[in-house]
Amino acid sequence: MKRWRSKFNQEQEQNTPNHTTSSDKNLSGNLTYDLQVIKKEIGHNSDVKFREFQLGETTVQVAVIFIDGLCDIELIQTHIMGGLMLGLTSLATKQQLEDDIERQSERLSKYIKNQSLSVCTLKEVHTIEEIKMGTLFGSICLLVDGLSECFLLGEASTKSRGIDEPDSEALVRGPRVGFVENLCDNTALLRRSGRNQNLSILGFEVGEVSKKELVIAYIQGIAEPQLIEEVKKRIKRIKIDAVPDSGYIEQLIEDNYLSPFPQVQSTERPDRVMSALMEGRVALILDGSPFALIVPVTFQMLLQSPEDYYERWIAATLIRMLRFVASFISLFAPSLYIAFISFHQGLIPTKLVFHIAVTRGGVPFPPLIEALIMEVSIEVLREAGLRLPKPIGQSLGIVGGLIIGEAAVEAGIVSSIMVIVVAVTAISSFTLPQYNVGIALRMLRFISMLFASVFGLYGVVLFSLLLCSHVVKLKSFGVPYLSPSAPFRFADWKDFIIRGPLFLMKRRPKTLQSKNSVREK
Amino acid sequence: MNSNPVDRISTYQVIMFLANFILGAGILTLPRTLTEKVGTPDAWIGIIMSGLFIILIALLIVRLCKKFPNESFYQFSQKLVGKWLGIIISMVIIIYYICLSAFEVRSMAETTMLYLLQGTPTWAVMMPFLWIGLYLVIGGINSIARMLEIIFPITVLCFLLVIFLGIGIFEIDNLRPVLGMGIKPVIKGLTTTSLSFAGFEIMLVIYMFMKEKKNASKAAIFGIGIPLVFYTITVISVVGSFSVTGVVSQTWPVLTFVRSYEITGLFFERFDSILLVIWIMQIFATFIVSFFAAAIGMAQIFNKKSFHPFLFAIIPIIYLVAMIPEDINGVFKMGDLLGNFSFYTFGALTIFLLFVSFVKEKVNGKM
Repeated sequence: MKRWRSKFNQEQEQNTPNHTTSSDKNLSGNLTYDLQVIKKEIGHNSDVKFREFQLGETTVQVAVIFIDGLCDIELIQTHIMGGLMLGLTSLATKQQLEDDIERQSERLSKYIKNQSLSVCTLKEVHTIEEIKMGTLFGSICLLVDGLSECFLLGEASTKSRGIDEPDSEALVRGPRVGFVENLCDNTALLRRSGRNQNLSILGFEVGEVSKKELVIAYIQGIAEPQLIEEVKKRIKRIKIDAVPDSGYIEQLIEDNYLSPFPQVQSTERPDRVMSALMEGRVALILDGSPFALIVPVTFQMLLQSPEDYYERWIAATLIRMLRFVASFISLFAPSLYIAFISFHQGLIPTKLVFHIAVTRGGVPFPPLIEALIMEVSIEVLREAGLRLPKPIGQSLGIVGGLIIGEAAVEAGIVSSIMVIVVAVTAISSFTLPQYNVGIALRMLRFISMLFASVFGLYGVVLFSLLLCSHVVKLKSFGVPYLSPSAPFRFADWKDFIIRGPLFLMKRRPKTLQSKNSVREK
Repeated sequence: MNSNPVDRISTYQVIMFLANFILGAGILTLPRTLTEKVGTPDAWIGIIMSGLFIILIALLIVRLCKKFPNESFYQFSQKLVGKWLGIIISMVIIIYYICLSAFEVRSMAETTMLYLLQGTPTWAVMMPFLWIGLYLVIGGINSIARMLEIIFPITVLCFLLVIFLGIGIFEIDNLRPVLGMGIKPVIKGLTTTSLSFAGFEIMLVIYMFMKEKKNASKAAIFGIGIPLVFYTITVISVVGSFSVTGVVSQTWPVLTFVRSYEITGLFFERFDSILLVIWIMQIFATFIVSFFAAAIGMAQIFNKKSFHPFLFAIIPIIYLVAMIPEDINGVFKMGDLLGNFSFYTFGALTIFLLFVSFVKEKVNGKM
């Protein structure tokens, strides 16, 4: 991918010299000539429309260029054309205008800008390139004969879907709100749920060929300035042609691309983003993607769900502990099974050993192969279930789980205890609130199975040491991944495995070293 | 090597370093070696006494290190006794650490092969262990410190759990009479007990990495105090359950202790698997610290900025040294040798260097 990208950069550099001549041209001021140039550049597009008219009762020609579908027709008709064709004469007499036009076109430009166009967003540009970009991205271009500047009015307005609860992060209790694709709607949601005057939202542009707006949000005074600078630095470092989704941004700014663990959290829920911002983290929202990114990420965040905070603390604590146990099971259950069955039969409780020996009697495969067969089948079923339409997907899950597992046991391919182990593993992995953690654990499960099949229990220990070594070295934007367990910050433990009662959680997490450390202020 | 400003460890992490380094391979055989020497069930008194003595020596070490806040032992020894003598002393210490790493790996391999993997060749057991250690230590002292912070609570919890579950077979009479033969046998066993605290000297190397150097004495006291409590509990439980004669007849008394009680009805009937797992992790902790100490020593002697090439160079040496003992008895002999060496050498060295530093100060002060 790296090589492909650098090659593309080289090609781009070779291509651009040819384009500089025409696009960097400035507007001449002569409407017909300018229109000709513009038509040559973008007139071939079927959705680009041109409309020429006159300024009020004068003889000045004006042209409006827009993209049908991207622009608000109402805006063009009522405010732009209406303002220029009809409203102008109510401000000045025809003679005054003609005098202005002949003598000082600057006054005319001010006139149009300040007194006749009742449009919110207005930008003055001078080059053909900017007009191209502006029009093709949804603004309306206004050219006036005699003026060497062009006005870009309005912005793209698209139809967006309604604000719904995201499917991937459904909660039992909590606001049923999720981000949508439109950036303005998303930042509006954030502002509304925050209502904080210190909430800062800075805009960046990413993508060399196909540009998109990326916004970082943080709360000034709570987020550490060093963190904000680091985020800005990494965004500026992004060099890619197009960014279809925030997943690309995540992969381009993360610390360690070789690690199976996510170093950036993605979420569709504004309440999650807002609480992260209140802790001192930074959020990134990309136009066109409902998934917002939160940095930095620590391990404890991956096993948390906003629901933990909306329920009372005892229940939330127990559920969190359950999640920890479930993630442990989902990672180690098959490998422990393989280790005990293959190497350490003596360590299993006696009654169970007899039972296992009986059920495994007819199975032709060694435990590793048996485990791999079942695990791979479950993964295949899971992927298949994602693509199928909802009603079929549900029943396939049940069919696949029960009947195929049952049939496999009858056929003698796997033992029934293996089916139990795999089923427990799969169900445990569903308790994890984040999808990318689930994927990481799924991958690691296979590696731990390999270790267990070669070295038994010692292999499982080796694997966990290796995993710990890796996670201990991992950092997300300068924050060690395993905070608060390593480096040990006791104060943050009240939100790690347990969830302390709210009145105890007065301080922001020490791991983020925020200046504003007391919450109540 | 200049101390990299990024690589700083907190006081808690220093305590972890000390505690983990001391709690190494020795604990499994400690009750036996001790009771053999002492002969009475008062070995636990010997542990407490030697523990306090070791804490004293550690405080002396801290005193010495405070005079050279940004240098490790390898560097300031050269300053104190001249370049060549300092280098010779450092080389000896580095060889000691290499041998210690090899001993840890080998004893871990022996136990694993005995209890978990009967058919696996030694090299297959040792090599992944060494490579994973290498992967971790490349990350520098911060990674090691964090790893120790994770390993330590797990090992402590599980170990205490496993020991206390054996309360069923514990008989207080096996520990009586207390000081029945007088204090003399205990004194005889003092050197052996001190050997189990080998590792207290790591403060010489990590002092320069501390973030808050004024807490070094506190760190030393806690860092040695925790293994002290551990060892005491272990020896009391094991000797109390087996009695003196029982203990000396077991090669690995602690493992036998864990195997000898059964809790029916729970998921595991036998808990020695947990103990072994924990113990392997603890050995890993000790191994990485001594590995790091050796590599950093070499880097500082040769005045190189990064110790990574030395890591790669030392690993095969460790492997070769670990393969030297032919069987378990050879391993034990090696352990004894190392323990003796550590105690006497570091004890003497500290006093000697402290003396030299006082003399130098006096001389410089006069001039």
